[in-house]
Amino acid sequence: MKKRLIATALVAAMLIGTIISASGCSSEGSADGKTHITLLQYKPEAVKAFEKMEEEFNATHDDIVLQIESPNDAMTVLKTRLIKEDAPDIIGIGGDVNFSNFLDAEILMDISDFEGLSLIKQAYLDIDKNLEFVPMDGVYAVPYVANAAGVLYNRQMFKDNNWEVPTTWNEFMTLCDTIKASGQQPLYFGFKDVWTCLAPWNALACDLAPADVCRQVNKGETKFIDEYDEVAQKMLELLDHAQDDPFAYSYNDACTAFANGEAAMYCIGGYAVPQIQSVNPDMDIDSFVMPGCDSEADNILNSGVDLQFCVTNECKNKEAAYEVLSFLLEDSTIQTYLDDQNAVPCKDQEFKLSSALDGMVSYINEGRMVDYQDHYYPSEMSVDAQIQTFLLDGSVEKFLNKFDTDWVRYNRDIIRKVQEYEKKGGNE
Amino acid sequence: MKQKNKVAATTNWPLTILLIAGCLTVIFPLYMAIVIAFKKPTEMTNDIAGALSLPKSWSLENFAEAMRVTDFWHSLGYSVMITVVTVVLAILLHSLAGYAIGRSMAKNKFYKFSYLYIVSGMFVPFAILMMPLVKQTAQMGVDNWFGVILCYLVFYMPMNVMLYTGYLKNIPIALEEAAFVDGATTWQTYWKVIFPIMGPMHATVAVLTALGTWNDVMTPLVIMSGTGANTLPLAQLTFQTQFGTNYNLAFASYLLALLPILIFYLVCQKQIINGVVNGAVK
Amino acid sequence: MKKLSRNQTFLLITVPVLALFFCFNTLPLIKGLIYSFTNFKGFGSYDWVGIRNYADLFTDARVGKSYLFTFKFALVATILTNVVALLLALGLNGKIRAKSALRGVYFVPRILGGLVVGYIFGYIFTYILPAVTGGSSMLSNTNTAWLAIVIVAAWQSIAQTTLIYISGLQTVPEDVYEAGAIDGATGWKSFKELTFPLIIPFFSINMVLSMKDFLMVFDQIMALTKGGPAQSTESISYLIYNNGMGGGQFGFQSANAVIFFIVIVAISVFQLNFTGKKEEQL
Repeated sequence: MKKRLIATALVAAMLIGTIISASGCSSEGSADGKTHITLLQYKPEAVKAFEKMEEEFNATHDDIVLQIESPNDAMTVLKTRLIKEDAPDIIGIGGDVNFSNFLDAEILMDISDFEGLSLIKQAYLDIDKNLEFVPMDGVYAVPYVANAAGVLYNRQMFKDNNWEVPTTWNEFMTLCDTIKASGQQPLYFGFKDVWTCLAPWNALACDLAPADVCRQVNKGETKFIDEYDEVAQKMLELLDHAQDDPFAYSYNDACTAFANGEAAMYCIGGYAVPQIQSVNPDMDIDSFVMPGCDSEADNILNSGVDLQFCVTNECKNKEAAYEVLSFLLEDSTIQTYLDDQNAVPCKDQEFKLSSALDGMVSYINEGRMVDYQDHYYPSEMSVDAQIQTFLLDGSVEKFLNKFDTDWVRYNRDIIRKVQEYEKKGGNE
Repeated sequence: MKQKNKVAATTNWPLTILLIAGCLTVIFPLYMAIVIAFKKPTEMTNDIAGALSLPKSWSLENFAEAMRVTDFWHSLGYSVMITVVTVVLAILLHSLAGYAIGRSMAKNKFYKFSYLYIVSGMFVPFAILMMPLVKQTAQMGVDNWFGVILCYLVFYMPMNVMLYTGYLKNIPIALEEAAFVDGATTWQTYWKVIFPIMGPMHATVAVLTALGTWNDVMTPLVIMSGTGANTLPLAQLTFQTQFGTNYNLAFASYLLALLPILIFYLVCQKQIINGVVNGAVK
Repeated sequence: MKKLSRNQTFLLITVPVLALFFCFNTLPLIKGLIYSFTNFKGFGSYDWVGIRNYADLFTDARVGKSYLFTFKFALVATILTNVVALLLALGLNGKIRAKSALRGVYFVPRILGGLVVGYIFGYIFTYILPAVTGGSSMLSNTNTAWLAIVIVAAWQSIAQTTLIYISGLQTVPEDVYEAGAIDGATGWKSFKELTFPLIIPFFSINMVLSMKDFLMVFDQIMALTKGGPAQSTESISYLIYNNGMGGGQFGFQSANAVIFFIVIVAISVFQLNFTGKKEEQL
């Protein structure tokens, strides 16, 4: 009995030994004389589209082998690969604070000489530019697709009750009252998942606060308590029209409730549509831009870069990486992606968009949009949780004062860099 | 060997009934999990019926789809391999360490220190070790499943050494002395006398270590990143994306992953009970 | 070949084990300690910031709040878990029917993945309990959310704690009870005077293990509240992991982890010494 155990252990140890020695020499395999490009992208839900792209690319290119990885929890994987000094050549990430951090950590390559950049809508290039903590020379990302957020609504319910899509804040609040008076639920929130607090917050902030408020604060020109007051007030007004105890329900609960017609509207981005339609595949969903202002002309769509490609400094063959980027920007490749995922392409050209975005199309085509404010918030400051705290507590002043003090604390190094940059003269 | 006590034949019925009633705390959530695993996303509603009513059909479609999405057999293979090798090595290595330290720590400061040193290692938050470990395993060329096993051997060492030394406190040294008299070395005595007598503890250690490694996501995620290999929990991450979770598929997959480890537990459990008879100190 | 002495054998076992442990636990910890003096984000370039992170730590209200929450939570959960698990272990070790099946059932909570547990208990707290009691969800109230997490965390960890108690009970020879029964020790008296003293090593192991697990609580918080409502359930590990790994505060949270490590080691050494003295007294 014991002898058998020891024998098993020995066999196991030997097995391990052979496998290590075997796996040790299998990694570097560019013996075929071709250039290998690895692309790691962070949307595992789009894996099918990317598999197809990879296949098409490799079928049409003899000298470059493209390998696309779509791991689960890709941001963690990406960070560990950076630590291992095994960074992929191209990364597909979102235009959010992670991108800003990667820029700040100097791991991305300047790709301003990439010709494909001229094909991209200027609004999205500007959005990416604004994500730089301190204005940098050069371009570091190719915006690929964007998403947009505002208010989703149940088109059938609106039709049945003759409700009109609101275009101003007053119309919106009146509509909520009308819906409630008809015995139905106007809005549903999933505030148990703190991140969902950011959806209405961002959409309102686009309408009511300057787009570059965070940079202005970093420069010391203004304070959040002056800029966000109206946003915070209107968040509280929205809460009046929510279901009972919205802090008890999760994002998933809210999607399910909206899908089952328990609420007429849902303040969230277009990204929630697949989850909603998984519960109710036939649901007719449309959306409208958050009407935060008193006049329709002042409303601005909340849209940000959902997927963009960056070349890392580790990339040894820039030409090959550009070749891959050009391929990704071809109309047929973008269409492959759009067929699989609900998204707004950043390429300056007309594509057929999902009907859930009907109410936003004119804004998208006009380029009347600004980025999600939370893309500028450091994630460790947990603004989403702070908004949840504020909504539970109801005190605008307390919340925004804390926002201002916390901001300085969490962004100390960035503020120092920004102010040094300004002292040197800046360029604005 | 002692004969089974006659008293053992009489069943304590009130206790049995109480324990069966207590099972409801487990059966009820488990029932919900099973029902959800059989439902389609379209059957989900936000009320009590949504989670408690029976599915429209008992089709195994979710399970088949979950197996396909997670590349089940392949991921299962990795999970089983990592778990089995970890458990075997843990039993051999940690019991030896527990024996050496446990038998000497009362008299010898060095072993007392070693014990406290290893046990205190348990309290290091994994988050602080993670990035340095990633770098270290990559430099050592073990950023693969073997590196994961090495990490586990170290992570579970504190708990297992504690368990073994605790168990040894109730095993009299007198048992070993008989073997010494016959001229056996400490090494031989260990394998002949002590190792077998710790059977129930081996089973306990096996279950606890297996559980930890079986369900763990973080270690394989960061250490094996870029190797393309997936353990079952890693593959299961695929059900949760940024803006959506397919709970029905996920539940089917988690129930599938639960079975092997439950069976393993039941087998080990027998070993723990059998140990009573074998291990009862004369 | 010269025969090794007992001490030499022990040394030959202990030294390599300590080396392995040092390599995969202490070494990365030291590297983490170094990062705690930087503004490292987890990747890329970084600057030295001296003891700024530590100075910040002691003035950060959020960190202070997370310590209060974590200790309150861990204390209540440890007591609850150990009381229930000890009773359960005595029951499952008693003269009952369907012993294996019952032990199997009570073990299931430990195996269920975090996603399943989070969803099921989310459902119970959000929909089922309010419907039964007529109140509102425990999870949306800052006064009760932590209790909900205590319940779920205890529900999961009772399985493991019970298992360790059961294997501890196997070291209690049957004849101890027989001798006790002759002296008239039954029920509570028999437990207090006969059983408990013999399983004290396992009691102290369980106290330390569950205290450690609960102080490092993370999974249940991610699954149930994500730190809410109103940031009332942010545990220390939650901050270390989310802000260190997920956010850009790797350096600062490394400092947090170092302090946290020192605090838990101090507590556990105290705990071990305390129960160790108890063992000697008995």
